[in-house]
Amino acid sequence: MNEELGIILETTSKILNKHVDHKLRQNIDNDNSDLINLWDEIEQLGLPKIAVKDKFNGSGLTLLTTLPIIKLSNNIGAPIPLSETILSNYILSESDINPPSGIITYAIDVKNLKIIGNEISGELISVPYLNLTDKVVVITEIKKTKKVILIKNSGKEKELKKNFLSEPRYNLKLNKCKILDMKPINLRINFKHLGAIVRSAQMIGSMEKILDLCIDYCSQRKQFGRALSKFQAIQHQISEMAVELSASSAALSTITNSDDFYKNKKDIAILKIRAGAAAGKVIAISHQVHGAIGFTQEYELAYFTRNLNSWRNDFGNESYWEDLLGKDFLENNNQNLWEYLT
Amino acid sequence: MSKFNFPSIKETNDLSNLRKEVRNFITKSLNHKEFEPSADAWVFSASPEFSKKLGSMGWLGMSFPKKYGGNERTALERYVVTEELLASGAPVAAHWIADRQSGSQILRYGNEEQKKSIIPKITAGECFFAIGMSEPDSGSDLASVKTKATKIENGWKLEGRKIWSTGAHIANYMIVLVRTSPASENNRHEGLSQFLVDLSLPNVNVKGIPDMTGQRHFNETLFDNVILSEDALLGVEGKGWSQVVGELALERSGPERFLSHFTLLESFINEFKNILIKSGSKLIGKLIAELQTLRRMSFSIASMLQNGESPETQAAFVKELGNKFEKTMVETLREFSSIIPLYEWPSKLQNLFEDATLRIPSNSLRGGTTEIMKGIIARQLGLR
Repeated sequence: MNEELGIILETTSKILNKHVDHKLRQNIDNDNSDLINLWDEIEQLGLPKIAVKDKFNGSGLTLLTTLPIIKLSNNIGAPIPLSETILSNYILSESDINPPSGIITYAIDVKNLKIIGNEISGELISVPYLNLTDKVVVITEIKKTKKVILIKNSGKEKELKKNFLSEPRYNLKLNKCKILDMKPINLRINFKHLGAIVRSAQMIGSMEKILDLCIDYCSQRKQFGRALSKFQAIQHQISEMAVELSASSAALSTITNSDDFYKNKKDIAILKIRAGAAAGKVIAISHQVHGAIGFTQEYELAYFTRNLNSWRNDFGNESYWEDLLGKDFLENNNQNLWEYLT
Repeated sequence: MSKFNFPSIKETNDLSNLRKEVRNFITKSLNHKEFEPSADAWVFSASPEFSKKLGSMGWLGMSFPKKYGGNERTALERYVVTEELLASGAPVAAHWIADRQSGSQILRYGNEEQKKSIIPKITAGECFFAIGMSEPDSGSDLASVKTKATKIENGWKLEGRKIWSTGAHIANYMIVLVRTSPASENNRHEGLSQFLVDLSLPNVNVKGIPDMTGQRHFNETLFDNVILSEDALLGVEGKGWSQVVGELALERSGPERFLSHFTLLESFINEFKNILIKSGSKLIGKLIAELQTLRRMSFSIASMLQNGESPETQAAFVKELGNKFEKTMVETLREFSSIIPLYEWPSKLQNLFEDATLRIPSNSLRGGTTEIMKGIIARQLGLR
């Protein structure tokens, strides 16, 4: 398994490094042939269905094994919905729906959703990468049952909500849209938990890149006759980023090393809190040490920091998970804190 | 990048059982009123009797070879024991330095005679150590030490002074970093050596320095032409710098860097749990997340030590993050006093809180300052 993963990682790295540059990130639409070529190679490698069951022609790996691949993709800064597609296909497969081919995305925030017969109406909020696909997995509660609903968007009323995000997000109004398949969700799975883990891995991959950018930039840029990296004030700021990053990586390593991460609510909370807090500091410090150039579109730093801004708020921000973790200890246990921790 | 990795290490059943064993022992000691839990106990709360008892349980010098009276247990087992002791605020200051760093230093660099005569006593909880690094003119800039040892017939003559030597007034030995030859022009790290100094020798003078809380743990230790035998040299003459760097990894990476004031947090939560459920779950969740992350990182380092690695940089990460966590924790509790005023807290809790508030500035000074930690990390990043 490890060897297999090593080969996949190496191949993924080759493909991404061949295709991804900062120009690609600035035109992520389905008329960009460079982007389509990149996705085709990703698809040929089998990454979209890497965590899909064998019976649906997937690779049948666990979702945990995909984390290093997702992390790598965001370390290189590939502007493709890889994590979205892997997650969507995984939830479909686990809920016994055959995943379609190609790019697919998900919607978890919905308004006024109504299902009549085989048709769905209502609004989907903040759906990632809807510009690249018409296939959406809607995960929502219908009549007190959590459902996984696969739809094909007829695509008329979508509204771009880019805000501070590098990735495109859309709100989408559905009017009697046809349901391709609908099943109760596999109860073993909490999609919010999965999303929190995946977004944290993405943040960590991006923060590693940002740290490298800061080191490179500060080593080359000279002011007052010496490289910025020779100023102690700069060194200490970059060290702080490294400390934040290492703590986040340690929290991720706890998850990847656990046998049954589904039930591991505590460690998922810790990971999302730690990575989200780190992202806040990394955004601030990386822009501070870069000066004005980091604040431009032509330089790549902002691509990564904008993603961090987005992901630290996805699937519950730090406050959400802190509250949940605090309550988990305070309410549900007769244990004192030390017993809870150990 | 590998220097930033903290591979996750699982706690095995054996380790969990050991944890329970230590916990039972502590509960018994508390029931017999053998100690009162205190803040920063590994610096401030010394009890030679308690140390001796730990020795008899086999919980000191845990990883040392049996040949020298040790227990040949793993660094992970030692980690579990130290965590339990720290979390309970037990009086561990007497043996702390000997068990944490001096014993390992002697095992790594000492000669057979040094090992035979000292290690069994450390393991029994009967021999205590102080650190001999800082001097009045050398703090963060450790390589600038001026205390010197001069070769004489059949031995060495030691001259100079060490400062901030915590616990030297109850310690039997100090591992002293000195100059044995002048620094070369382009390498200040040359010409340093470590000596194993018996503090009961003539011309050694240990003077107490009350700290800002009025308590005594600090000392200034004067060496006024102390005559040392030849075998007082620890390790290799002139290699003191590389030796001391390894010692610092042991000093910086342990759970005392984030559990010094755990008793305060635990008592606080026990006292105010009902209020915290309503309005403090977020605060507590945040502290839990950070503390648990630090525990994993430090445990991971214990495993690196077990594998014979030298995790100096990782130790700096843990120390830096741990110091910050403790400061944030005390500050979080202070802010809570706007809900329940401090004067309404039980007096024991008030005392713990006030002790912690006064002592907390020292956590990012002892064992290397924040600035030094960040410098070590920056060097690893290639910025220096």
